[in-house]
Amino acid sequence: MRAQREKYYPLIPVLAGYLILFLIGREVTGMWQLMAMIAFYCALGQAFNIFLGMTGYVDFGYVAFLGVGTYGMALSISRLWRVEGLGIGIIPIGLVLAMVMAGLLSVAVGAVALRLRGAYFAIATIGVNEGFRYLIEGAKIWGGSEGIIFSGQMKKAFGKATASALSTFWADVMVFSIAVIAACITIYYMRGKIGYALTALREDEDAAKVMGINVTKYKIIAFITSSSLAGLLGASAWALKLTYVFPPDAFEIHYTVEAIIIVLLGGAGTLLGPIVGGLVYGLSKYWLAVIMPGFQLLIFAPIIIFIIVAFPEGVIGWVKRRIRGTALQNYFL
Amino acid sequence: MVGQQLVGNLIQGLVLGGVYGMATMGLSLIFGVLRVINVGHGAFIMVGAFITMWMFTALGLIPIIAIPVALIVGMALGFLFFYTAVRRLINAPELASLLATFAMGMLLEEVIKIIFGTEFRGYNWVVGKLTLPITVLPMSKVYAFVGSVAIATLLYIWFNKTRAGTAVRSVVEDSEGARVCGVNVDWVYALSFAIGIGLTVVSGILLTMFIPVGINPYMGGQYTLKAFVIAVLGGLGSPYGAFFGGVIFGLIENGSYTLFALIPGVVPFALTRFLSFVILLVILLIKPTGLLGAK
Repeated sequence: MRAQREKYYPLIPVLAGYLILFLIGREVTGMWQLMAMIAFYCALGQAFNIFLGMTGYVDFGYVAFLGVGTYGMALSISRLWRVEGLGIGIIPIGLVLAMVMAGLLSVAVGAVALRLRGAYFAIATIGVNEGFRYLIEGAKIWGGSEGIIFSGQMKKAFGKATASALSTFWADVMVFSIAVIAACITIYYMRGKIGYALTALREDEDAAKVMGINVTKYKIIAFITSSSLAGLLGASAWALKLTYVFPPDAFEIHYTVEAIIIVLLGGAGTLLGPIVGGLVYGLSKYWLAVIMPGFQLLIFAPIIIFIIVAFPEGVIGWVKRRIRGTALQNYFL
Repeated sequence: MVGQQLVGNLIQGLVLGGVYGMATMGLSLIFGVLRVINVGHGAFIMVGAFITMWMFTALGLIPIIAIPVALIVGMALGFLFFYTAVRRLINAPELASLLATFAMGMLLEEVIKIIFGTEFRGYNWVVGKLTLPITVLPMSKVYAFVGSVAIATLLYIWFNKTRAGTAVRSVVEDSEGARVCGVNVDWVYALSFAIGIGLTVVSGILLTMFIPVGINPYMGGQYTLKAFVIAVLGGLGSPYGAFFGGVIFGLIENGSYTLFALIPGVVPFALTRFLSFVILLVILLIKPTGLLGAK
């Protein structure tokens, strides 16, 4: 029983981290937006890490799942707002729709792309992201390139005060929750059968196959989980917060790159990595935007290259190596 | 009427496709030798476009003179990036090399942004027209096509007839074996990366003939994506495959545009892009060695 509980000790620093971020946002005036942004990056990294960190496959089209999730919420609000008696119930419907749509897309993508490995997988996923965007624009699906703007409908459906509270507060609370859910799923997977299977796969896929591990099954599970969480994140952090969706923004490849940076910075395949990566990335992005606006990317680019070359294991990977064999190691994963 | 338009567009597509092909050879060369995907590919094309535009508008030099300049700048950038970062990423997981090359592209974009700003620029090199029965081609585009074919041929000769080219081919075949036979594998990596980047920067010059007002620090992204499709069409890692992949891609792009334009209520330009990614996925699934791949 005690061993059963000890397995989940590494969740303690993660949950404490999110709680501290949340409390700083609530208690210190003017900090909520910054903390919400950091929470978004942490959640993005945490969700992305479930697939990338555990399998070693680089999904370069990850942002597509956030984009589709954004559309899920946008469609639910813009199509259902007139329906009597739904009221605030539209939001859970939107979240479920976002998750289902992202999940379905991930099944379709997974069926095709997960047969490929390494560089071919990365290229295929970029193709899916771009292809989906141009399908929406080209065939004029869901408003085509004009996108969906639903701030007016949100105000009419929920009232001005509620709509504004949804955008400025509840959307961010959802982001925090998604980050925590993603962290819990991560540790559940890591400590379970799927974690061992994926570790074997990451180290040597062919050997794992020969050992009788159903690698495809576990890859797909990790892929769908990670993608559905991305859908939820899109529905809350993008749709509810911005109250519009345009294809070029929803499928912008830079968000995938940000997710990769966060995971790599913190340490791929670690539980605590994404929160550290998200914190460092979010804070430095914010700080650079304040002290030298317009030059953030110029400064970031060489730093990224330096980190990849010098610290490929990330902050938590490095810490884990230093504390191996000490009492602390039970709390770091 | 439509038939004539289609043939005319296909001729335009052939000319553009040759340049697309040349613009992808660098990507394929680098992947073939180093097994690294250059996600920042388009940014190097952008650098070439800015070099030629600057030489044309500020110094009054025609784009032909820009070719050696772009090649030198490109190879210098290639060596610089190779020895600072890429060298250590050759055997690292994809994650590292994908992100590092993306960051290199980002760095170039931001540097160019600071020098030239973000507005769209362009120049027009007027050197007459070539009138065909069905369509009219500006001579500048014809020169770009001829230039692509010439560069592709030169690369072919270098690859197959020189000692250095043979060394590169031996590393592609089997890097360990090449090392045992006394090939300086690290130098081959460096040289291939530099030549790959040099070719890509040069291709930026040729591409500007097709985009009179499309030069911008962030113009590269779409060419990176097109280059992926083309490289896969030709078989990732094969520079000549990439050249012919480019020709096929140019034909498909222009041909399908003409046909999509017949469907009412759609955006033909976006559907053309959609089609190219469908092709990408289909080829990756059924024949990942490319349409021309032998293996």
